[in-house]
Amino acid sequence: MNAAILVQAAGEFTRTSGGEAATFWVLAPVAVLAALGMVLARSAVHGALLLVVNLFCLAVFYLLQDAPFLGFVQIIVYTGAIMVLFLFVLMLVGVDSADSLVETLRGQRMAAIVLGAGFAGLLVFPIGGVISGTKAAGLAAANNGGNIQAIARLLFTDYVFAFEIVSALLIIAAVGAMILAHRERAGGKITQKEMLRRRFAAGGPVTPVPGPGVYARPQAADVTPALPPASDDPGHPGDSGDSAGGDADSPHPVGAGKGAAR
Amino acid sequence: MNSFPWLTTLLVIPVVAAVVVLAVPRRFATLAKQITLVVTLVEFGLALLATIAYEPSRAGFQFAQKYSWIRQFGVSYSVGADGISLVLILLATLLVPVVVLASWDEVTGPAPAAAARAARAADPGGAAAGPAAGVVSRRSVPAFFALLLVLEAGMVGVFAATDVFLFYVFFEAMLIPMYFLIGSYGAVKEQAQRSYAAVKFLLYSLFGGLLMLAAVIGLYVVSADQLGTGTFDFATLRQLDITPGVQKLLFLGFFIAFAIKAPLFPFHTWLPDAGAQSPTGGAILLVGVLDKVGTFGLIRYCIPLFPKASSYFAPMVLALAVIGIFYGALLAIGQRDMKRLVAYTSLAHFGFIAMGTFALTSQGGTGAVLYMVNHGLSTGLLFLVVGFLVARRGSRDVSAYGGMARVTPVLAGVFLIAGLSSLALPGLNSFVSEFLVLVGTFTRYRALAIVATCGIVLAAVYILYLYQRTMTGPLVGEQARGVLDLSLREKIVVAPVVVLIIALGVYPKPLINIIRPTVTATFEDAGHTDPAPTIPVNASQAGGHS
Amino acid sequence: MSAPPTAVLAQDALAQSIQGTIDVPPIQYAALSPIIIVFGVALAAVLIDAFASARTRRLLQPPLAAVGFAVAFVAVVLLHGRRQILAAGAVAIDSPTLFLEGAILLFAFLAVLLVAERRLDSSGGAIVASAAVTPGSPGATAARTSAAVQTEVYALMAFSVAGMLLFVSANTLLVMFVALEILSLPLYLLAGLARRRRLLSQEAAMKYFLLGAFSSAFFIYGLAFLYGYAGSVDLGRIADAAGTATANDTYLYLGMALLGIGLFFKIGAVPFHSWTPDVYQGSPTPITAFMAAGTKVAAFGALLRVFYVAFGGLRWDWRPTVWTIAIMTMVVGAVLALTQRDIKRMLAYSAIAHAGFLLTGLAAANSDGLRGSLFYLVAYGFTTIAAFGLITMVRTADGEASDLSQWQGLGRRSPVLAGIFAFLLLALAGIPLTSGFTGKFAVFQAAVAGNATPLVVVALVTSAIAAFFYVRVIVLMFFQEPVMDGPIVVTRPTLTYAAVGIGAIMTLLLGVAPQPLLDLAGTAATSGFVR
Repeated sequence: MNAAILVQAAGEFTRTSGGEAATFWVLAPVAVLAALGMVLARSAVHGALLLVVNLFCLAVFYLLQDAPFLGFVQIIVYTGAIMVLFLFVLMLVGVDSADSLVETLRGQRMAAIVLGAGFAGLLVFPIGGVISGTKAAGLAAANNGGNIQAIARLLFTDYVFAFEIVSALLIIAAVGAMILAHRERAGGKITQKEMLRRRFAAGGPVTPVPGPGVYARPQAADVTPALPPASDDPGHPGDSGDSAGGDADSPHPVGAGKGAAR
Repeated sequence: MNSFPWLTTLLVIPVVAAVVVLAVPRRFATLAKQITLVVTLVEFGLALLATIAYEPSRAGFQFAQKYSWIRQFGVSYSVGADGISLVLILLATLLVPVVVLASWDEVTGPAPAAAARAARAADPGGAAAGPAAGVVSRRSVPAFFALLLVLEAGMVGVFAATDVFLFYVFFEAMLIPMYFLIGSYGAVKEQAQRSYAAVKFLLYSLFGGLLMLAAVIGLYVVSADQLGTGTFDFATLRQLDITPGVQKLLFLGFFIAFAIKAPLFPFHTWLPDAGAQSPTGGAILLVGVLDKVGTFGLIRYCIPLFPKASSYFAPMVLALAVIGIFYGALLAIGQRDMKRLVAYTSLAHFGFIAMGTFALTSQGGTGAVLYMVNHGLSTGLLFLVVGFLVARRGSRDVSAYGGMARVTPVLAGVFLIAGLSSLALPGLNSFVSEFLVLVGTFTRYRALAIVATCGIVLAAVYILYLYQRTMTGPLVGEQARGVLDLSLREKIVVAPVVVLIIALGVYPKPLINIIRPTVTATFEDAGHTDPAPTIPVNASQAGGHS
Repeated sequence: MSAPPTAVLAQDALAQSIQGTIDVPPIQYAALSPIIIVFGVALAAVLIDAFASARTRRLLQPPLAAVGFAVAFVAVVLLHGRRQILAAGAVAIDSPTLFLEGAILLFAFLAVLLVAERRLDSSGGAIVASAAVTPGSPGATAARTSAAVQTEVYALMAFSVAGMLLFVSANTLLVMFVALEILSLPLYLLAGLARRRRLLSQEAAMKYFLLGAFSSAFFIYGLAFLYGYAGSVDLGRIADAAGTATANDTYLYLGMALLGIGLFFKIGAVPFHSWTPDVYQGSPTPITAFMAAGTKVAAFGALLRVFYVAFGGLRWDWRPTVWTIAIMTMVVGAVLALTQRDIKRMLAYSAIAHAGFLLTGLAAANSDGLRGSLFYLVAYGFTTIAAFGLITMVRTADGEASDLSQWQGLGRRSPVLAGIFAFLLLALAGIPLTSGFTGKFAVFQAAVAGNATPLVVVALVTSAIAAFFYVRVIVLMFFQEPVMDGPIVVTRPTLTYAAVGIGAIMTLLLGVAPQPLLDLAGTAATSGFVR
């Protein structure tokens, strides 16, 4: 397979310049590694960040492939907006929630790897075998008059209907998010009055619990102040808010942290 | 009179009656029984009238009706009767009222009737009778009789259909009521075996049916290739010229279905289970009529549709038939369960029928068809008698009986007649048909006929041995003394069958006159002419002589 | 190798673009009316959910959806005989499409009846009160018995139906893909809305979503290859390109295979079936009925269109594959169904086996096969909706009696209901005088005529295997003694009665008098898909 045939076969629209090839060979491994890393990362935040890397690499590929609009939309929408939202959510939910990695079906992971590799081979080899001889049709038609103009024209002519009905997907997504996340309160909103009433009805202390250090007896700076151990302090009988203090079998040294007492 | 839609009427009446009977509340169980009895008697009367109206000399199907049903598939509702189907319809419509009357008390609840008494007799402790009676009461009596009526419609339909698709539909649809009869109303205490038998019966038949469906579709496609539009019309399909290779495949599809249904030797294992677990009425209809669909199919569909293939496979079928004759007889001798025993004797009889059919001679064919009727009567009577015994004593085991002739002389007498008919005693009905079958086979396969004749000896062994063990000798068990002889109802049930067994033994000519032209025409159409007699026997008088 | 045609095309397009104007293509909204009506219903349902009170929503939503589907059905009927390509080539209307659309709308209507049923127990029906309540949390018990219902279910169903209608009528792969998403996304959500056994339901939704997303990826991967091959996503243009001899067809075959995976996943064909039992079991039963009937019609309709229109010229290439998949689907479905203890899972495997039987119609690759498939889809849909509807009526204290052992002796206690169920099972098994038999006969006959006799023999053998597990349920119901703490059959669920009754009656009618529907399917099949 010499280079002359390759270039000839590729035709004028798919000619690969030296710079394009170099960029591809640099970024392609990065993209693949980032994708693998995203799947394998234990921390969700790492996964999300690696996904950003992957999407970014793809965006560059789009640019290289004469699809500037798609490339920039990829960066702005996916890498910019969506992934940032992802990260927000991850941070809000808590970054340390990790999935259990125990296999529920024995041998499943191994089988998945083998079959996945096999499928990849099945796809890569035929494509690799014919890539030099075949070229994809349609790029010229899709890009004529400029990439953005062409996309606009297609969106308003050939694909106008597809474009219209995609809106349904957005509505479905919104409704779906509502279903999964929105929870109607059982008995309406609780008012301030109701909350106070409940606090008094429950008995126990109605005022806020004093802050740490208020009841400290030693004054040494190296002793951490702590909340009063609830039940053995005569000033605060039955601090119901602090369940840990319920078992007051050892009046521990004042100022010692609860953790130390255990 | 021939313009009257006899067959459609015969088909519609039981279906309508079944709906009516099903709608009867369970409280009025007796009303349901009475309706069923009247309807089935009317049905028999109509079948008899149709038989009188039938003109044996005319070729082809009579009382034919044809309406397009599913145009796209070339399916029509088309019915008609020839000599073969007419006598079988007659047999079916005769046996159904007998069965209705015989089952009169079989499915009632724990009423102080014979059933409960029998249960007590069988189980002196009464421990098992209590829950068993409770179970019985749950079974719906109207549903039982509705199922019988649906079954009757199916039986008439399967014999009357002259459209292969319609035949297949009835062939399969008939399974369902029988399945419920075995599964729901079979042997009371043996729930597991009962379900097993019902499922086995259904699955065997379904499997055979599906093979037949493949062949039916194949036939349709062949007809579409040859005629332009596919058809299922039997008369049209007969005219097709199918290549031998295709014929063989299609033949096997049909043959295996029929061999399972009949059943012939290697496909028979469902029969003893189903026969033993069915209620008495179900067993009579199962062995007496339903299984005839298999042998009927052989002579009606296999031979005319696939003449070359049936010649090709005839030696194989004959071999299976002879194996069946001996195998069934030997197993019958070794059985301790009376119902299973009777089922195995049927296996031997079906061997004879298949042999007569595939001898491909007109005597053999006529004998086979007549054999179907006679076997229905004699085995039906055997099942009836065994059913009466089981109802009295609660056990199907031979060893639980002995010396019954002393306490129940009438029952023993009927048993003897049924048994002798089954072993083809000259003067009783089966002799005529067995003789015809053997003569028909002899003209073509001499050695085979001689071997098969030995099977008759075994038949004598199993029947007489059974009679000896149950009816003669010392009385087994003290409670057997209290067993009552046949009641009036039971006498009425057996009377017509006994009369027919004797009458057809002495004078079978009316039936033979109906059957013979059709069989001869069938074989001649298929290109099987009788071999020239080497010994000067006038074949046409064979029936008359006996 | 051949650069010139592409270059010419490019110059043409360039010349056009210099003018700087776009001719907006006409969209024949009238011809699209069924789809638009259903979309309208969906949007109205969303608005009602947003603004109306809980009680009003419960009262308003079911009739809205039902009437909407009925009106859309009328629109389909009014469109009969139309045969054109609409909306700039995006959508095709022809007889098979209208047939499938009508079927989908009928099944959706029946499914709405099942979903709207509120008399099954003291709570609000089969749909969860609030999907956001975590199972096991303090509010969960209250939510289970609450009369509230997540009324968004109707909006989602309407969206899904709109997606199905679009899926069967899409004339370009791009629209087909969007339709696939529109029909799938609501189903993923719907699968998670069961009122009882929330965890099972959520697991079903999750699995369905993940695997569904995966299959969509395959679909779009294949779409990309086909676009690369033909330079168009239009089905007709792909067929044209496939008809001309080009140097290398690898893109075409890869595209066909990957597209096929996406579609085979949706109909639940082996080896892309593994979601079916879990999803069928976990989903609320009315939704399972909706999926089993509606999705099957939609996915199979799209499959038929793709394989008949786009790949019609390649039938000698895809037939062996379809044969293999059909055989695997039938065998795996029938054999695994034998081992099931849960009635919904059993019906799920039966659905897989039926997908295999349907594929024999596709393998026939002739007009009779198309007719058979169309008929079979309708016949199967009615039967399966009735069967699942009936399952909702047999209940214990904690929901449906889904374990087979609980059905023991049901025939003794509620003979009518058990009788209907037995009839439906016999129809699924393909006993004559039921629609199941007519359907099977139609596809098998086409397959034999299309030289696929070995396939038919396998199909018949698997039918016999399949018959065993249907018969086993009948044995359980009728031939065995009732269990002590057996299920209670709910007595007055009017809407469920209606749905089950319609399904059962149609099952009988299509078995006894299939002529009219066969006529309809026959005319649709002979006129064929528009290109």
